[in-house]
Amino acid sequence: MKMKMRAKKVFALAMAALMIFALAACGVKDDVSAGTSADDAKNLDDAVKIYKELMDEENKILSENQELWEKVFAAADKRDMTLQEDGKNYGDFLMDTIEAAKDSFSADELKTLKEGAKRISEIENELTKLEEEYPEVREKAIDSAMDASGDGSMSVPADSDNVDVSKAQKFPAFDGKDFDGNKVNSDKLFSKNKVTVVNFWFTTCKPCVEELKELEALNKELAKKGGQVVGVNAFTLDGDKQAIADAQDVLGKKGVTYKNIWFKSDSKAGEFTTGMYSFPTTYVVDQKGNIVGKPISGGITSDEQKKALNALIDQALESSK
Amino acid sequence: MDKRENKKSQFLGHYRGLVQAGATLLTNVYLPNFLKGGIYQGKGKAVCVPGLNCYSCPAASGACPIGAFQSVVGSSKFSFSYYITGFLILMGVLLGRFICGFLCPFGWLQDLLNKIPCKKLSTKKLKPLTYVKYIVLALTVILLPALVVNDLGMGDPFFCKYICPQGVLEGAIPLAAVDVGIRAALGTLFTRKLIILIVVVVLSILFYRPFCKWICPLGAFYALMNKVSLLGIEVDGHKCISCGKCARVCKMDVDVTKSPNNGECIRCGKCVNACPTDAVSFRYGFGKEKEI
Repeated sequence: MKMKMRAKKVFALAMAALMIFALAACGVKDDVSAGTSADDAKNLDDAVKIYKELMDEENKILSENQELWEKVFAAADKRDMTLQEDGKNYGDFLMDTIEAAKDSFSADELKTLKEGAKRISEIENELTKLEEEYPEVREKAIDSAMDASGDGSMSVPADSDNVDVSKAQKFPAFDGKDFDGNKVNSDKLFSKNKVTVVNFWFTTCKPCVEELKELEALNKELAKKGGQVVGVNAFTLDGDKQAIADAQDVLGKKGVTYKNIWFKSDSKAGEFTTGMYSFPTTYVVDQKGNIVGKPISGGITSDEQKKALNALIDQALESSK
Repeated sequence: MDKRENKKSQFLGHYRGLVQAGATLLTNVYLPNFLKGGIYQGKGKAVCVPGLNCYSCPAASGACPIGAFQSVVGSSKFSFSYYITGFLILMGVLLGRFICGFLCPFGWLQDLLNKIPCKKLSTKKLKPLTYVKYIVLALTVILLPALVVNDLGMGDPFFCKYICPQGVLEGAIPLAAVDVGIRAALGTLFTRKLIILIVVVVLSILFYRPFCKWICPLGAFYALMNKVSLLGIEVDGHKCISCGKCARVCKMDVDVTKSPNNGECIRCGKCVNACPTDAVSFRYGFGKEKEI
């Protein structure tokens, strides 16, 4: 209990710090001149300073109209565009994406976005110039930005795709079958749901069996929100017929109607399952197939565990919007 | 001819600590798992280790016989655990409570704790408590897991779940230390068992092997088997001068001259080494014909 309290406190502190940084990033640095240029750099220290200023400006452009930009990123996601593909200028990439998705923005919005993208394109060119002249400038600028995070000037390097996507962990992919023999593909399964709750269990595990009813209720509830519960019984990997029959027997007795699936034990998801040592374990997966937060170890029958699970589900629904 | 006639027996008694350390290491051989998190789940887990050693210890190389017994008895698929019972009887016949004295990691831990210098208390007057372990065995390992079941016939491993301090020490604590999910799942059950562990640790400093004497269901089973075990201790009546040294040196409160195959004897060999006339020695096999 005590451990939990402490974890909560640390989490709350971390969140508070994060918020302060986020707010600070929006509010300061109005004095950064739009004319900062790579040509002003006379030595490495100068270059680092200018590099940082440029990065900050770029971040500012993105954070000022965050919601608009998020739409752009979403459009980029849909078009399956990635930056690393051709290593081209980030601003140009944004511009292309905005062009391609221009129907979904108003004239004013388009103007703001295009202006932003144009400036980012310029900034990126300056950054590249600096990098060519001082190869270590990028690393140093990022390092010093991290060091200075205490005074609120923390910035995220804007030239990678971590602007829009947090470092999420994908749920291991699988091509499996449900207990009725229908094929189930992980990508299809996750993308059609706003949230997928994946419950790992095995047939002779008492706490696993005792939470089945709750999971069934949760599945009904999630159905209204565009979500689904999916069970993975560790005994039924590779489609073991006897194990499936045993599992179905238990599922039937507990009135479970939601989908239970199996996959090959040598698949990615199979290895993921056989490597697991605490049952039941429940994962929450968002529409993009990313695991949301930390898995819930142990049954979800207690109020605390249920609360934790619901928080993850809300988080997944939020990120699937 | 050597001056001491029971040389091998003496040797065994002298190097008990080394054997215990070696056995504990072999029982928990996957040490890197302590850092990595997770537990070894390979073929070794299909076999039991002789001593009390938690399956969920990250480093454990085999299953705990007491844990395995409960999980099979309590499962909906089986009503009795023939495999583990057979294993326990085999171990009991081959070695008896020699396992407690030489091979059990939790026994070794209590031995080490008892070496911490402080005033030691005698357990002689607490003899009735030695029967508690048989109740623990019958109730929490056999009857409750088999009889207290849900609608699907599934029981709880009562001893593991509510009593075993070795499970907290080897399983819960190291796993919770590296696994956030498990840490988040810790609740009152963990707190209660942690208290049991702390009590056992403190008592082990004051008394010699309190858990083995009073609580351990595995010790209880091997105690029953001590009477028929091939490994035993025997006293040569012709050499014995009835000095009583053996009984005084015994930390398990056994008078080896009166009952050499007493259920409480963990075959530690202290009496063997203490005997001035080498009248006490280990034996292996049937009856008296073989002496080592």
